[in-house]
Amino acid sequence: MPPKPATTKENLIGDDDEVLQAVILADSFNKRFKPLTTQKPRCLLPICNAPLLDWTLESLALAGVQEIFVICRSHPEQVKAAIKQSKWSKPGSGIKIVPIMTAKETFSPGDALRDVYTRGLVTSDFVLVMGDLVSNIRIDEVVRAHKERRKTNKDAIMTMVVKESSPYHRTRSKGDSAVFVLDSETSECLHYEPVMGHPRTNVAHIPREILAEHPNVEIRNDLIDCSIDVCSVEVPSLFQDNFDYLDIRRDFVHGILTSDLLMKSIHCYVAKDGYAARVQDTRSYDAVSKDILSRWTFPLVPDDHHPSDQAYELRRGNKYLAKDHTVSLARTCKIGNNSLIGASSQISDGVQVLSSVVGRNCTIGPRTVVSDAYIFDGTTIGADCVITRSIIGAGVSVKDNSVVERGCLIGDGVVIGPDAKIIPFSRISKAPDEDEESDDDEESDSDLEELEEDEENNVAGKLGVGSNAILWPKAAPQEDEDEEGVDNFENLRFMRIGDDASDIDISDAGTVSSDGSDESSDEDSDADTDAESAATTAASMPSGTPIPTTPFDAEFRNEVNQSLERAFAEGHSVDNAAVELKTLRMASNVSLSRVREGVVAAIVDRIKLVNTGPAAQRAEIAAVVNRWGELINKIGGVDAVETITVLQTHCAQSERLPLFGQVLAALYQDDIVEEDDIRAWHRLPASQGEGVNGSVEEVTNLKKCWAVGARMIQQFDEQASDEEDEGSSEEESD
Amino acid sequence: MNFMLNVLPSLVPLTSNDGDEACPKALLPIANKPVIDYTLSWLDKSGIKDVLLICPSSHRAAISHYLHSDSGAPSTSLSIDVQAFDESPESAVGACTLLRQFSSRITTDFVLLPCDFIPPPNLTLCTLLDKFRTDSVADGAIATSCWFTATRPEKGAVPEEWGVLSPPTSIVWDKASNTLLYVDTPDDVDRNGEDFELRMSMLSRYPRTTMSLSYQDSHVYVCKHSVLDALQQKGHFDSFKEEFLPWLCKVQYQRTKREKYGQVLSTITNNSGSSQSIALRHSTLKAKERNASRPQRKAAQAVDPVQDTTNSPVDSDAEEEEQASLRVGVVVIPSDAGFTARVNTLPAYLEANRHFLSQTSYSLPTDPVNRALIDPKAQISADSMVAASTKVEERTNIKKSVIGKHCVISRNVKVVGCVILDHCIIAEGAKLEGCILGKNTKVGAKAELTRCVTQAGYEVDAGETVKNEKLEISDWTAASQEESTEDGSEGDSEEGSEEDGSEEQSSEED
Repeated sequence: MPPKPATTKENLIGDDDEVLQAVILADSFNKRFKPLTTQKPRCLLPICNAPLLDWTLESLALAGVQEIFVICRSHPEQVKAAIKQSKWSKPGSGIKIVPIMTAKETFSPGDALRDVYTRGLVTSDFVLVMGDLVSNIRIDEVVRAHKERRKTNKDAIMTMVVKESSPYHRTRSKGDSAVFVLDSETSECLHYEPVMGHPRTNVAHIPREILAEHPNVEIRNDLIDCSIDVCSVEVPSLFQDNFDYLDIRRDFVHGILTSDLLMKSIHCYVAKDGYAARVQDTRSYDAVSKDILSRWTFPLVPDDHHPSDQAYELRRGNKYLAKDHTVSLARTCKIGNNSLIGASSQISDGVQVLSSVVGRNCTIGPRTVVSDAYIFDGTTIGADCVITRSIIGAGVSVKDNSVVERGCLIGDGVVIGPDAKIIPFSRISKAPDEDEESDDDEESDSDLEELEEDEENNVAGKLGVGSNAILWPKAAPQEDEDEEGVDNFENLRFMRIGDDASDIDISDAGTVSSDGSDESSDEDSDADTDAESAATTAASMPSGTPIPTTPFDAEFRNEVNQSLERAFAEGHSVDNAAVELKTLRMASNVSLSRVREGVVAAIVDRIKLVNTGPAAQRAEIAAVVNRWGELINKIGGVDAVETITVLQTHCAQSERLPLFGQVLAALYQDDIVEEDDIRAWHRLPASQGEGVNGSVEEVTNLKKCWAVGARMIQQFDEQASDEEDEGSSEEESD
Repeated sequence: MNFMLNVLPSLVPLTSNDGDEACPKALLPIANKPVIDYTLSWLDKSGIKDVLLICPSSHRAAISHYLHSDSGAPSTSLSIDVQAFDESPESAVGACTLLRQFSSRITTDFVLLPCDFIPPPNLTLCTLLDKFRTDSVADGAIATSCWFTATRPEKGAVPEEWGVLSPPTSIVWDKASNTLLYVDTPDDVDRNGEDFELRMSMLSRYPRTTMSLSYQDSHVYVCKHSVLDALQQKGHFDSFKEEFLPWLCKVQYQRTKREKYGQVLSTITNNSGSSQSIALRHSTLKAKERNASRPQRKAAQAVDPVQDTTNSPVDSDAEEEEQASLRVGVVVIPSDAGFTARVNTLPAYLEANRHFLSQTSYSLPTDPVNRALIDPKAQISADSMVAASTKVEERTNIKKSVIGKHCVISRNVKVVGCVILDHCIIAEGAKLEGCILGKNTKVGAKAELTRCVTQAGYEVDAGETVKNEKLEISDWTAASQEESTEDGSEGDSEEGSEEDGSEEQSSEED
């Protein structure tokens, strides 16, 4: 009898014949793709004309997975139908795909895994992926390595697949990445440090106790987490036990690694070659599309293993055309490199399609330019349109002469134009019909209600006369304040298509510089206490004061300008612009007066110079100051005297010198500066150009401004004396 | 030009004074050769000529006497300039303070060395110098440091009474470019005892770094001359390793520091490395942005990498170094490189002696005078050393030990695994195991010492049995002066034995 248990045990562990299972979480649990995802789940959005889910299934098929559970939450019936129609459901595909509908109350990957546990879906080690994965990594090797490890170490419950790359890889999200600390030899993951773009993670905290057990560790900031996890059976049960685990990385991995009780370990598989990326936001949608087109995902490329079995022909320069000769290209159209055009699409004369994907049955009118854009199936674009870095949903109609600027998302079935001007980062969807609203889930209901309030703005004609669409409100920072973690508004900007986030993406060094100056000022204060180093103190003090050096200064100014330009162009409210400036100031740790300078300069520069006479000019100034003047006092502190000084300095240096008096008057009219402030400014010696080192011209200009101020004060005096006179004359008359 | 050595007694009680006579640590013998000889011959081999040796004023006489005597250092090609600094008994003097004090004597790039570093057999100082030269020319590195695998003694090998070992330092470095990025300091521990705080700016510049607890600082630094200028500005730094080096590592990736001190640090870079940097600038392998000034570079980076589809998706030149990198290079000596040590703790001292013993094989002296001193009936094992003019009497058994000069070891003595310095007298029947005896120690008859350390001049009474102790002269009346120095020095060894003692520094010729 004794041999029997031994053999069964062997069977349990070493049985390679057992079915390899995979679980796909086909829901994103966030709203980054809205409004594209109001009508269909994210996993069915096409990327290079095939639904994301198909790419994921293809990736898993490459790995030899035999049984796949697709966990779907939003629009489950569509997912179910899609699976039924896909080639994998055909007999003989060798893969069994089971769609699992989970409750609407499943709000996180953690909830989904708890569901997996309660349903008892998995029976052995399984592969857990997201429904938005595009990969050609040999997951079967990872599974083998995982099983091998499990033979010796039962506590190694999970293997995360991470891809080695550069920290600046385009599929590595700036808003949501991580630093991994791995054991140099075993690749055991010892610490997981999530990194966000905003609020920026400046410092990675690595527990000291790690080194006690593992004297040599590697700190990796060059790994792309592709969310492919090979999990053992206990993983879902651990989620069940710890009901507060929501995110797989931030909660589960972090929880396991920091827990003193569980004694489980998580390993990483660092993939050196191969490709793996997730389409987790619009930015990575862009990046992954480009990667597919430039064949990094080989063999998953449009002309070979296209997941939807559409046939494409590869032409020189990574141009793909549908193979069935149904694409009609006008003689004078230009198809740039890295473009894909689906079957039965028509490209008219003079059209330029540059680095873009055009779906099936699309029509693009004459002289239209489509660059870096993604156009889904059945969309019609009129003549003379310009579409840049945007995603246009299926069945959309963009009429003639419309401009869609970068970063826009246009939902299915929208009609815009003619002559629509869509400002950057707009989100547009079809106005809700009565019957549709009923079967939408609660979330979108509430979204839509918000939309309606905002609707009057849309009528402004931006969307064109014939439009059936509504413009989504810009998510304002205040509204999203309750959103913490990765999905806060500023951080999401790192994930938007076409948004380089240059105004909030202060370079690392820049942010450090602020801390650095803190540190150095600390050091300087140390030096103060150090008696013998008086000389050093003298040397280091001036640089320790927060007067930034020139390149840094220019950079900050540049960013303030960009931020304000956007505010002007996109018509932000004064409050929003103020919040943005505050953030910027905090991020680069500069003094308030720098911000004030930036704001005043931007406002003054905003005033158009009009030649048609002083009255028109005055009207122009009043318009700008009425709209934006308030901002000057909302940047975090009020110092009207300084405002005038800054205004004076700026005018003295720019061609808007003649406007000084009028601007000052306008500020006075709007109560941004008071009479006393002007007098106080007037008394300052610097206002007369004393002690100011600048060119002679500048000083004379400063003096001119001062003279203007003097006249103004004279006027005040006259007014006052008039009043007095009146008063006195009344007295006299008594 | 310069070489410097500052000798602070850290191997208490071995280096405590013997009466009025100083026992500089630099002259403490390891395998009957003063420790400074190891460093000097290492320097000699590398072709460095000019040495500035800095030592406390109290040690100056002894050291210069040793260097100029016939029996002294074998290296004749070095020109050694011995300089003394005034040592205050209360506080240790750090390398930074000394460097500032003697900076006028250092005119070129320099090497800072301790007097107590025993390099591995296959590593020459040239390796470090070459690395430094190539790095500083290629991308403007400012210094090179050297770390070796710390040997951790097994538990119980040395008694706790000998003092606690300093915990090894955690460092982060980049393997690809051999750049030292972060040195953990006691200040960091105070600030956050739970976590290491690593800057994201560092991690994005060097995305794949190694962090390790198993290396120890050799205190050998090759530095640009401009480092001295930075040191002048940082007047409050005292310890090189604990304060200045961690700060120096940060300059390369923290922008304000860079802006503030970059000018100072990189002044020399451009003259010395101009030819090569021009060549590199013209190289087609380097990206064009290389010479772009920072704002432009930033703009280039801000262009979304997604746009650029023709290139690989990795934005490879985003991390292109601009101007001088100001980085601190690191040479990490792997554990299989052979014996490497800083002789700054008693266990390390014993360990170093044992290591050199294992490489020698003892044979009776050929010189008839010395030959006559060793009784034929004495048993001396092959892995021992007995220096000249030492008398060993009959039936004495010596194993795995180093015996200094002019000792007298009487009959029936058993010496196992000991280090006995010069002029010791061991009476008959004594048993010594794992001991270190300072100069002039007298051991009475039938005394038994196990794992003890004695101060120079200590006398062990006859028949006494002592285990695991530090034996120091506690003669208050005779040596009150001594006592105070001892206290001070003891403080040194506890607080910062890594900062310990002796730095030598030598300047490299261009």
